[in-house]
Formats: sequence, structure tokens, C-alpha cells
Amino acid sequence: MPDLPKKKVGIVACSGEELPEGTVTRLAALRVLEQLRPGDTVTICLPLFLAGGEGDRAFARFYPTIAVDGCDKRCAARATEQYSGKPAASIVVTELLSGQAPDGLGTARRLTPAGRQAAETTAEAVAHRVDELLGKHWDRRAGVAVEDESATAIEAQEPVEATCSCGSGIPIRKILIGGRVVNVLAATPIFEQFRDAGKTPGEATGRELLETVKLYNAVPAGEEESYAAALLREYAAHLSEATKEPTP
Amino acid sequence: MTEARKRIVIVPCSGIGKTYGTVSREAAYEVTEDVRPDDTQLVALSLLVLGDEDARAAVAACPAVTIDGCKLACATKMVKESGGTVAREYAVLDVYRRYKQFKPQGIAELNEGGHQLAHALALEIGAAVDETLGQDAPATEGAADA
Repeated sequence: MPDLPKKKVGIVACSGEELPEGTVTRLAALRVLEQLRPGDTVTICLPLFLAGGEGDRAFARFYPTIAVDGCDKRCAARATEQYSGKPAASIVVTELLSGQAPDGLGTARRLTPAGRQAAETTAEAVAHRVDELLGKHWDRRAGVAVEDESATAIEAQEPVEATCSCGSGIPIRKILIGGRVVNVLAATPIFEQFRDAGKTPGEATGRELLETVKLYNAVPAGEEESYAAALLREYAAHLSEATKEPTP
Repeated sequence: MTEARKRIVIVPCSGIGKTYGTVSREAAYEVTEDVRPDDTQLVALSLLVLGDEDARAAVAACPAVTIDGCKLACATKMVKESGGTVAREYAVLDVYRRYKQFKPQGIAELNEGGHQLAHALALEIGAAVDETLGQDAPATEGAADA
């Protein structure tokens, strides 16, 4: 079952191959994706905003995104804003590390121990912003993110393989809403999740669909009712299509 | 005094999550720093995405060798989008098929197989650079000895 409706934070690293700071961004992003916040983060290769499809270009609208840049050219932040959506946060390594590595970071190909420490420092800064964006607090004693101060549940932080989103663009479904066709991000996996949960079309399901879709889509003020109605109609059609599919 | 422009640009993949992306970068560094440092310069893909003037000028003025880590071929597509000419494009997976004895693993740090594969690829690119420039290849260490 797709896991798309869970809110996650996107990380876009400049990965600049010419500068050691670019390598720092790449290693920092990898550290966050695989070890510090594996369940809460996703990434995309910056060039896919141009080389990929519509789903790739929707990335920064779909996920609150942190741009991680090596230098003040801010390729990741500026290109993300230009082609996808305004990043929710921006980190620039040269600003973050100002004066912290007087002997240099090494080369883009081989970081020194100071360069590797810079990657660690950057990763921690990114993870902190991830927690802020998810509305979580980081419990330093337990070493886990908690939803709020009263929460006792501890999320598993299993290391996972960083998923470069190569070839895994965000699904888009075209839905007729209020007389115009709207690209709705993640509608189909949301429908599938609702179907798997046994939710039948009705007023309550319509409201719930709307709230879930709003996690990933901007619903214009005053159009919530037409969105809910359209989502409900589309969900009913989705269920109908699913029942027609031959079973193996 | 300005540095003379190199005659071939090398554009590797900037992928984060796959071993082949790391191999592409390591090969690019080896070409530009060790194998053909006088003839090649590395251009960062992120600069092309942003439309950086210097990066676009470099790919517009010089043939490019692109190294892609996956089938989406971002490096090749971006060079073309930027008005450049791709003299030779490499996909690391295809290169691996030619050197299956080198099994790459690791992303942040490549294993020995990854370094060997990158070295073999760098030598192929060195030969492609020579071919593109129409000159005889200098003697280089063979890939089989990598």
C-alpha cells in the first residue's frame, strides 16, 4: 500500500560536484535520509525538476522541502523555487560553518576529517529543521522525535536506504472540480488507502478525503465544498473501476 | 591572467541515493584530476539546472562527456537543455555490464569494486576524450589492472 499520505519532509541538496561544500551537502542529506530521520524524509535529484516529469516538478509542493546548498549561489534553493515550489527552509553550508573549518574541508573528491565533521554538523542542522517542519520535538535523552511533550510513543528510527526519487515521481490525478480540470497530487494512492480501510462514499468520507488531500494540495479558499464533492465522486468512480478489474 | 578553457567538459550525475551515482562522480574526478587534467573540466549539474552563465558557456563552447547513474539520464538531458553537445554519454550500469568483476557497493564511501569500476570508466572516458580531440592517447594504466 502506498505510504504517501504520511507527511514527510523533502530534502534537496545542491550536490555541487565542483566544491567540497557540495560534497558536504550530499553527505549531509544522505545522513539525514538514511540515519537521522529515515522515516520522515525523502529526496529528489535537483536535475529532475527539468529532466523529469510533472510529478517530479510537484515535489516541493508535495513535501515541505529543505534546500541544502554548498555556496551562496544557492542552486538548490533557487532552482527548487523556480521549477517546483518555494522551499520551506534553506541551509547554506558556507553560512552554517562560517569560521568553523579554518583549515578547509578538503576537496570535492576527498573531504578531510574537518570536512566530514562539517557534513555531520550540516546533517544535524537539516534534521533539526525537519523536526520543526513536522511539528515535532527531539527528545535528546531518548534520541527520538516525539509528537509533543505529552507523547509517550517512540517512533522506530531504523536506518533505511536513501531513496533517490529517480523514476518515482509523485502521482497526479486530473479531476474535474468546479468546472475545471485540476491536477490533484497523490489522489489515487489516497483513494487506495481509503478503499483498503473499507471507507464507503458518504459525507464523512468526503470530508476525510478533503482533509487528507489538503496535506499535499493547496485548496483555494471558498472551494472546499466543490473539492469535497469532486473527490467523493472520483473516489466512487475509483471504487467502481477497482471492482471491475479482473482478479488473477 | 585567466585560465585557459579546457576543451572537454565532464558532467556527472548528482544522484544521492544510489551507488552508480557515486561511481559516476568518482570517475569524473579521476578524469579531470588524474587521467586528462589538461583537457577536461568538471561542470556541476546543479549549475546547469540553475542556468548559471559560466556553466552554460562551458557546455556551449566545448563538447561534453556525460556520466549518468540511472536511466533518467539527467546529466545528458541537462547538457542538451543547456545548448551543449554531448560527444559521448555513459551510463554506469552499462559500464558495469562490461566490467562485472568490479561489483560496486556503498554510497558515501565506495568499496574497492566501486573504485575499480570508476577507474575503468575513467580510462574509457580518457580514450573518448582523445578520440573527440583527435589526438593519440597517452599511455595509461589498463582497466584490467585497476
